[in-house]
Amino acid sequence: MPAVVARKVFDDYRVLSDEALRPHEPRVEKFLQAMRKSLQQKENWTFWLPYTLSLDTCMKCGTCAEVCPVYQATGRKEIYHPVYRTDMLRKIYKRYFTLPGKLFPWLVGAEDLTEEKLNALAENVYRCTICRRCSYVCPVAIDNGVIVREARKIFDAIGIAPDELKKKGTRLQLQAGNATGMPAAAFLDMVEFLEDEIEETRGYRIKIPVDKEGAEFLLMHNAGDYLAFAETVMGAAEVMHAAGVDWTLNSPNTGINDAVNYGVFYSDVEFSAVIKAHVETARKLGIKKLVVGECGHAFEALKYLILRLIPPEERPFEVISILELEDQWIREGRIKVDPQKNPEPVTFHDSCKLGRLGGMFEEPRRILKACCPDFREMTPNREMSLCCGGGSGFAIMEKGGFLKFRMETYGRLKAEQLKATGAKVVACACSNCKAQFREIINYHKLPMRYAGVSELLANALVR
Amino acid sequence: MDFGHYLIAGVMPYVAVAFFVLGLGYKIVYWFKAPMHLHWELFPYPHTMAEQLKEMITEVFTLHSLYRFNRKHWLPSLMMHWGFYLLVGWLVVLLLGFSFAAYVGTTGGVLVLAGSFSLFLLRLLDAEVRKISAPVEYINLIFVFLLASSGLFSGFLGDIQLVRSYFLSLLTFKPDASIAADYLTPLLLFELFLIYIPFTRMAHFAAKFFTYHKIKWGELH
Repeated sequence: MPAVVARKVFDDYRVLSDEALRPHEPRVEKFLQAMRKSLQQKENWTFWLPYTLSLDTCMKCGTCAEVCPVYQATGRKEIYHPVYRTDMLRKIYKRYFTLPGKLFPWLVGAEDLTEEKLNALAENVYRCTICRRCSYVCPVAIDNGVIVREARKIFDAIGIAPDELKKKGTRLQLQAGNATGMPAAAFLDMVEFLEDEIEETRGYRIKIPVDKEGAEFLLMHNAGDYLAFAETVMGAAEVMHAAGVDWTLNSPNTGINDAVNYGVFYSDVEFSAVIKAHVETARKLGIKKLVVGECGHAFEALKYLILRLIPPEERPFEVISILELEDQWIREGRIKVDPQKNPEPVTFHDSCKLGRLGGMFEEPRRILKACCPDFREMTPNREMSLCCGGGSGFAIMEKGGFLKFRMETYGRLKAEQLKATGAKVVACACSNCKAQFREIINYHKLPMRYAGVSELLANALVR
Repeated sequence: MDFGHYLIAGVMPYVAVAFFVLGLGYKIVYWFKAPMHLHWELFPYPHTMAEQLKEMITEVFTLHSLYRFNRKHWLPSLMMHWGFYLLVGWLVVLLLGFSFAAYVGTTGGVLVLAGSFSLFLLRLLDAEVRKISAPVEYINLIFVFLLASSGLFSGFLGDIQLVRSYFLSLLTFKPDASIAADYLTPLLLFELFLIYIPFTRMAHFAAKFFTYHKIKWGELH
């Protein structure tokens, strides 16, 4: 049976099904109420300043468009201009919440909100991964990304959010402990299977500790990695084992065993519920350091977004990325590597969340240079790295032809970048990036594979 | 001296400055008092006061971001901004009594004129920028253009002796409105400009402090 194609509301794609978007229901009033709240300092203290300054101060110079992957990749299509997108919200803001916009709407570009415009906005805020490359170059340092995220928050507040992020995302994670819905028994089986796998490929068996209380390190992966990128999970376990440290994974029996926090992408309410559950789990286990596996947004959430949300005394543990540990252990000589074990040319993709938003530029490079003799930079890289197109939840969104959008916009630019390096392996340290690279390599038929940084490191380990 | 004249040269200067200072001051205090948002900085960012100062000054005086990423806007914007910097400088050197103030003022005026005119054309002729522009964007540029033209063509920016005594009379709260008779148009435009700024995005010179120091840049080390 052919899939029912949802009515066009913005472009050729539909991230939000009719069930989620409810286009036949009047929603304008509710939207305006939720938006009014979003503009109040007390109601929205988490992002009020960046949000309102960004609404008020855009000079309309278009510098953002010059670095926006979607705008560039679509041949500079007007509807994908970063300011076209943020103006969709800004026009509403001006019309209903500013005096000049109430008095002289035509003069300041204020417009009434209609149900149709609401539909289009709801879709368009899911055409931007909030990679914040535009924000980095903006002469006035305003942030289209925060406006997009705030718009997503307003939509979520009136019950409009992609199922992938909410129903099957944060809600499932809070209920099952992980967003994959994997029960504890299955998780424990999985860990045992990974021990077998390691034995089979490496010829030695290691014990992967689970739910150990009071360990120095609690390593928490994106739970999707166990299913999709098990090599990264195994690699990290081998590194932990080789370093001889006191570490553990955790199962859903202890609470949350999934580092992801999709609230980062669309809702502060969800974000804060998930991160509190993370903290509670870590406290219950009494661990000293929470190590975030190879997951970009989880690192951003647990390392930075958490800081002003949860007081330090309520989170008596340190948060570090697995990359920091691996880098440190190589430099200390705690683990030994033989780069000849990874002879292929390797390039590295800076995940937006780890790099531009997390400052993790040099650690992965030092690790890779230590374990791969032929390391090649992609251009541009670091803070100007192009988003792969998996960010802000896109990696798990495919419905409504969305995979094609991901591949033809962000994906196409990234594929060209990858090709230019001549590398056979693209290393990255973020699950969403990996999920996107899996598709890019397939869709654009690139003669290469993707790999986790821990995976390449584990492969180079000398025992 | 009629009432209009007195109003423009004797009263409005104070009203305008009050609007500018209080309006902008209110906004700045409001922003300062805003609750501290969640960490949202971008990397890499300058980590010491000296590094931050260096980056801010580079951005303010060279418009580095436009130069790197949006070259066609760079020169017109640079001209207009340098024009404003020179006009601020003009006010200072004029009050200090330097005779070269006339050159500073005239150069500033010419740069603002050329900058606003070319930015206007760019916004009008470049379809991409036109599509994201509302009428107010053009009006602001026209306003700036008129302000610079009237300052230049009335001779206001070059007439340092007279303008200096007039400004000094204002500063000592003994406004001598009569000597400003020939410059009522540039004066009025300048006053309206000062009143207008706090309500518009032209206050971005103040907003930028927050977007950079409080948002784009993380904590100092």
